[in-house]
Parts: sequence; C-alpha cells; structure tokens
Amino acid sequence: MPWSETPAELARARAERPFVVAAPRGRLFAVLTPAAPEAPPAGLCVVLLTRPRSHRNRMWVEGARRLAAQGFSTIRFDYHGCGDSSGDSAPLDPNRPYRDDVVAVIRHARQQLGMQRFVLAGSCFDARTALSAFAEEGASIAGLVFLAAPVMELDTVVQVHADTKDWAHLWRALFKPDNWRALAQPKRWRYMATVVDRVSRQGGNAGDLPLSRGFIEDFRALVRSRARALFLYGLEDAEYASFRVAERTVFAELPAEVRARFEIEVWPGTVHGFLEMTRQRETFARSLGWIEALHPNAKAARSTDRTGLPAAS
Amino acid sequence: MLVPPPSSAPQEHALAPPSAVPASAVELETPLFFESAGRPLYGVFHPPAQERPGAPVLVQCHGLGIEQITTYRVEVLNARAAAAAGIPVLRYHARGHGDSAGDFSAVDFDGLVEDALAAAAEARRLARREHTAWLGVRFGTLVAARAACSDPTSRALALWEPAHRSADYFREQLRGMLFSQVAQGERPSATVDQLMERLGRDGTVDVHGYYLHRRIVDSSREQDLGNTLAAWTGRTLIVQIENRARLSPRTAAFVADLESRAVKVSSTMVHEVPGWTFVQNPAWECGSLVNETSRWLDAVE
Repeated sequence: MPWSETPAELARARAERPFVVAAPRGRLFAVLTPAAPEAPPAGLCVVLLTRPRSHRNRMWVEGARRLAAQGFSTIRFDYHGCGDSSGDSAPLDPNRPYRDDVVAVIRHARQQLGMQRFVLAGSCFDARTALSAFAEEGASIAGLVFLAAPVMELDTVVQVHADTKDWAHLWRALFKPDNWRALAQPKRWRYMATVVDRVSRQGGNAGDLPLSRGFIEDFRALVRSRARALFLYGLEDAEYASFRVAERTVFAELPAEVRARFEIEVWPGTVHGFLEMTRQRETFARSLGWIEALHPNAKAARSTDRTGLPAAS
Repeated sequence: MLVPPPSSAPQEHALAPPSAVPASAVELETPLFFESAGRPLYGVFHPPAQERPGAPVLVQCHGLGIEQITTYRVEVLNARAAAAAGIPVLRYHARGHGDSAGDFSAVDFDGLVEDALAAAAEARRLARREHTAWLGVRFGTLVAARAACSDPTSRALALWEPAHRSADYFREQLRGMLFSQVAQGERPSATVDQLMERLGRDGTVDVHGYYLHRRIVDSSREQDLGNTLAAWTGRTLIVQIENRARLSPRTAAFVADLESRAVKVSSTMVHEVPGWTFVQNPAWECGSLVNETSRWLDAVE
C-alpha cells in the first residue's frame, strides 16, 4: 500500500530542518528530521542514502519521519552533482563510492548537530557508499543496511551472473521473442557475447572472479568496527551472483563472534532496482524494521519476550 | 542540437550557461520550509548574484510523480543560471512530493495550484520583488498556467514540453511506460485502456515503480492549457523537447492561438530524447534547454 502520512509523521515533517554541508566536491543539501521529543530516544542518527534523496515514492522521506517518530534522528542528503547539491555530476559506479560525501555528512552531524552514533542505509551504489564510510568513521557507526549491491567491478558482475546460466538456459532463451527484440540495443549484444563465452567454458567457476578491491577494503573496515549489518539480496539479482563469492570467501573467513553481527537474507526474485511495487514496499519495510530493532527499547522488549523479565542494563 | 526560436530576435545578453554559473551564486542558495494550507513545503531560494532592478522572481513548478524526480537536476541548473544573471528564483516541492508534507495519493489539482500560489507569495517576500515569472515543467505547465492567471503579479510564463490536456498527458505517460517495456525486451501486460480501467477500479497503478493515483487524474480531468490561458497576455515561452524537426501540430496550434491574441510568445525546440521517462545515471541536465530558457528570461522585465 502507498504511504499514508500519520499525524505523528506530519509532526516530524513540521520539525524538519534543512541544512547544507561543505564537502570536498560540493555543497551538499540535506534535511534533518529530529527525533520526536516525546519518544524514548534511540541515541542513533540514521543516514538514508540515495539520489535524489527522497527515493522512489519518497520512501526515505517516509522512513525518516517514521523513524523520527520512534526516537531516531534521521538525515537524508543529495550527493555532490545530484539533486539540490552543487558540484559536477558523473555516472555513479558502485566501485567508486562517494565516501567524501557521506563522511562529511557524518562529521557535520557530529560537530553541528550533536549526533554521536550512526546507522547507514542504502541500495546498490548507496550501499557501497555507506560501507565506504567505515574506513574513516567505523567507530561511530552502529549499523548498516546493505541492499543488493555489486561487490565486484561491474564487468565482472556480468561474467559471474553469466556463470549462473547453462546451455539449457540459452536454448530456452532462443524461444523468447522479447530476447530478440532486446538485441536492438548494442549493450545487449555485448551482454550476450559474455554469457555465451562463460557458458561455453562451463568451467566458469565464479570463485575465480575477484571481488573488487574497494569492497574488500571497506568490508575489512566494517569487520574491525562493532557495527551490526543486514545484507539483503534477491536470488535473481545479478548483484547476488557477485555477493555469493563474498559469502564463500570473506564472510567464510570471519571469526564466529564477528560473523554473528552480520545477517544475510536472500529473497526469491529480485531486490535490486525497486521497480516492482510489492517488492519495493517489502524491502522498505524490512530495512526500517531492522533499524527499528536497534532501538534500545526494542532490544529490551525482545529480551523481556524471551525471559519474561526486563533486560539487564 | 538547438534550433533558435523563429519568432524571437537574437539576444545579445544571454544569461550565463550552467557551466558558467559562478560558485558564489551557488553558495547563496538557501534551503527552507514554508507553509501552504497549513503544511510545510520544502523549497530552495536562489538569491540573485547581481542587481537587476525590475526583474521578477521566477517560481518553478515541477512535474508530477516520477517526472518531478527525472527533471529535477535540469530545474536546479536552470535556477542557478537565472540567479547568476540577476533573476531570483524559488524552487519548491509541492505537497506529496519530495521533502514536503502530504500524501502523494491525496494530491489533487487545486492543491497543486494552491501550493504554487503560496510559493509565489513566499518568493516575492524573500526576493523583495513585486512581479512573478513562472516556469512550468510537463504537468507543471498546467499548474503554472492556472497559478499565473490567478495571480495579478504574474508577468511571464515559460512552459517546458507542455501538457496541453491532462487527459492526454496521463494516457501518454502510460503509453510511454508500455513502449519502454517493449524497448527493454518485455511484453506489456496491459493496454493503456486497461491501465486506465485499473486506475479507476483500484485507485492506483504502477508507472515505472512509481504510483499514479486516481485522485490527481480525476481532479485534473478538465484541465486544458489553451482554455486556461484564454485571457493570458504576459510574455510566454514554449519549449518543445523532442527529436523532431518541427513543432508538433498541437504545439504549433497552441502557439498560433497565443499569437492571434497578440501575446508575446516565443517557441523553441530542443532536439533531444526527452529525459523525464527514466531516472538516468547521471541525471538529465539538458544544457541546451537551460540556455534557451535563459535567453528568454533575459528579456523579461
């Protein structure tokens, strides 16, 4: 169902304050939604990333106001070269995240707004940008929602996704008129050539394809931090094929106590893209639910549920 | 590629193109909230970077739903170019859009016009100007036209790829979505008529992962740009953004109608594939559209 603004959310809208952050590559326009004073404070500032900052169907606006009504402060902002912000625009590549931007926002929030602990959330490029913040701000980040992002260079993602196909898949594809129509696009020819090449090798073991260096470095920073993280993919996402390599490698090597901080969910169908409305709402609901569970009161409530007694402080 | 407007003389003092907007002009931009119908609306005020006495303040009325997103960046660049040349600008998010309050499902046409008029009052207050110029984008052309005709301070009106009739606009939007599915190699699951039926029955349909709601469609059903501007006499710019050599018959007739009433109308064509259908990476910026609008604004006093 589409968002229907509640009185509590409207009250948070009235409390919002726009502000500008001086970042290395532009002035970033941002909106702070302060935590509701009547709600128990979460002690967390949630930074919601995407471009433009409102997200599809204003999901991040809805999310910001809903979380704020429960005691979280939230910030959404436009990257440099996007939306209201200044700076030059360029094609966004998940392997070249805008770390400078998100770090500048976190530091502004700390120095000017008094925020101390952060939760970051984003999808694809935005997820990689959120992850990239750990290298400089890992100590101040308590949580990460990482949705359907590639963890290899983009050319490699195409190869590793092709490795999920076989000759039977290609044979079935020949009989789909839509596939022939798609060949009107040159990039589709390149994609098909890659798929046929990978399938013909049939050795095509995705394990031989490398994770991107940037992802590995940023993931190590996440591991060094004390943050919890949710990794959410769709089984049919091309990005998930790359993430499976990460599961077999960098995740598999984690000590148990570190691994316990990370949740991995893989849903049927796709998560990447937010193009299908039902899945868009499901992904949004899961992301917000995961963040809401970081609220100290939510943790206490879970503890009480399990033991029948209040959680020890 | 850009074709000069046939009915307007070359301008000698064109406004700064987007790439030439000085950094100082950008640093003056101020985000803010203001009230409309008791709810906060988000806006950005672009103060003029130089004195230009007598210039109006420009109020930009964005498109609807997904088109508010896809044309956002070019509207920002347009505001920067105008402010750099001495024309103050207020951009704003109407109710149910962007960072403003309100449900998109509850948006209706009169509400959008109410927000446009509130934005114009705020713009004149901030800029300390008496007169208003309007820019409407796609569906926002219907809103800007209605607001311009309701506001006695209005002096000029620019229309980017106007939505001549709302009923046609919504059908074209749905048709465009179906074409894009074919281009992506998918078979459309419904016809435009079936989607319109679904909208009437369910109250909402999905356009590229964005909602289209029955309320805005029903509330704007009678909107017709030509009828709205029947008494309009201010300077007018019409920009067609299409990959075609001439004005479309509909736009040509609209221009002819305005000219027949001695309206100072300029029309121009930007020969680009329209950038409002999809969220592009990077966002659609269309420098030629900004340049052409800037040239026209330069002559507005």
